[in-house]
Amino acid sequence: MKTRVKANNLIFKGLKIISWVIFVGLSVEAGGLLVNFIFSLVRPEFIQNLYQKLDLSQLYQNSKWAFFGMYGFVLTISILKAVLFYQVVLLVTKIDLSKPFNSWVSKQILKISYYTLSIGLLSFIARQLAKDLGHNGFVLNQLEAFWADSQAFILMAAVIYVIGTIFSKGVEYQEELEETV
Amino acid sequence: MAIIVNLDVMMAKRKMSLNDLSERVNITLANLSKLKTGKVRAIRFSTLEAVCEALDCQPGDLLEYSKE
Repeated sequence: MKTRVKANNLIFKGLKIISWVIFVGLSVEAGGLLVNFIFSLVRPEFIQNLYQKLDLSQLYQNSKWAFFGMYGFVLTISILKAVLFYQVVLLVTKIDLSKPFNSWVSKQILKISYYTLSIGLLSFIARQLAKDLGHNGFVLNQLEAFWADSQAFILMAAVIYVIGTIFSKGVEYQEELEETV
Repeated sequence: MAIIVNLDVMMAKRKMSLNDLSERVNITLANLSKLKTGKVRAIRFSTLEAVCEALDCQPGDLLEYSKE
């Protein structure tokens, strides 16, 4: 029993570190994209050398609306991903493994599922728009990486929502048990 | 809540303090106090049985239903 608790704690510490690393990585990406976005508004010549050598100059020359629309999607999705992992970091930092069943944790899990769903839906819409723009002659292959996993996010949101719902029911039962004499 | 706990009334009738009752029914003073003030959501049959035995009364003497 004790070894299992120790193993769980060790896994949780590992998860904490991983979620922090992912959060920092996503924040850097979102920050980079945001700075690029501001630069592209002020100095359009920077568009050929955006974050991670992203060159969207052709898209910008063809249609500014398409550029800002698609870049807006990329930026929103990146920021949402960073916010999602901030919520995960909050959850793994604040959760008390000896008493995990409380309303804050269940609300946090549900919040994570909502963020995941928003990312999934936005990515899905962006992917469809990119496809439509592709049919009209725009080259958007470079942006594919930002919304390639839209279905995975939607599926994950559903799984997290189910877990959150079960968790909140568990919290309700526990509260009832605690208020029974 | 529509269920009123008349534990204080029965305790007064039997001239029993909360401390005495707590010792007799083997329930903590804090929990018994919560029961007395109606701050609990549920009561176990075993608790009800112990309280009824200690106060020599029926469950109906302790609990009352009132339409809100």
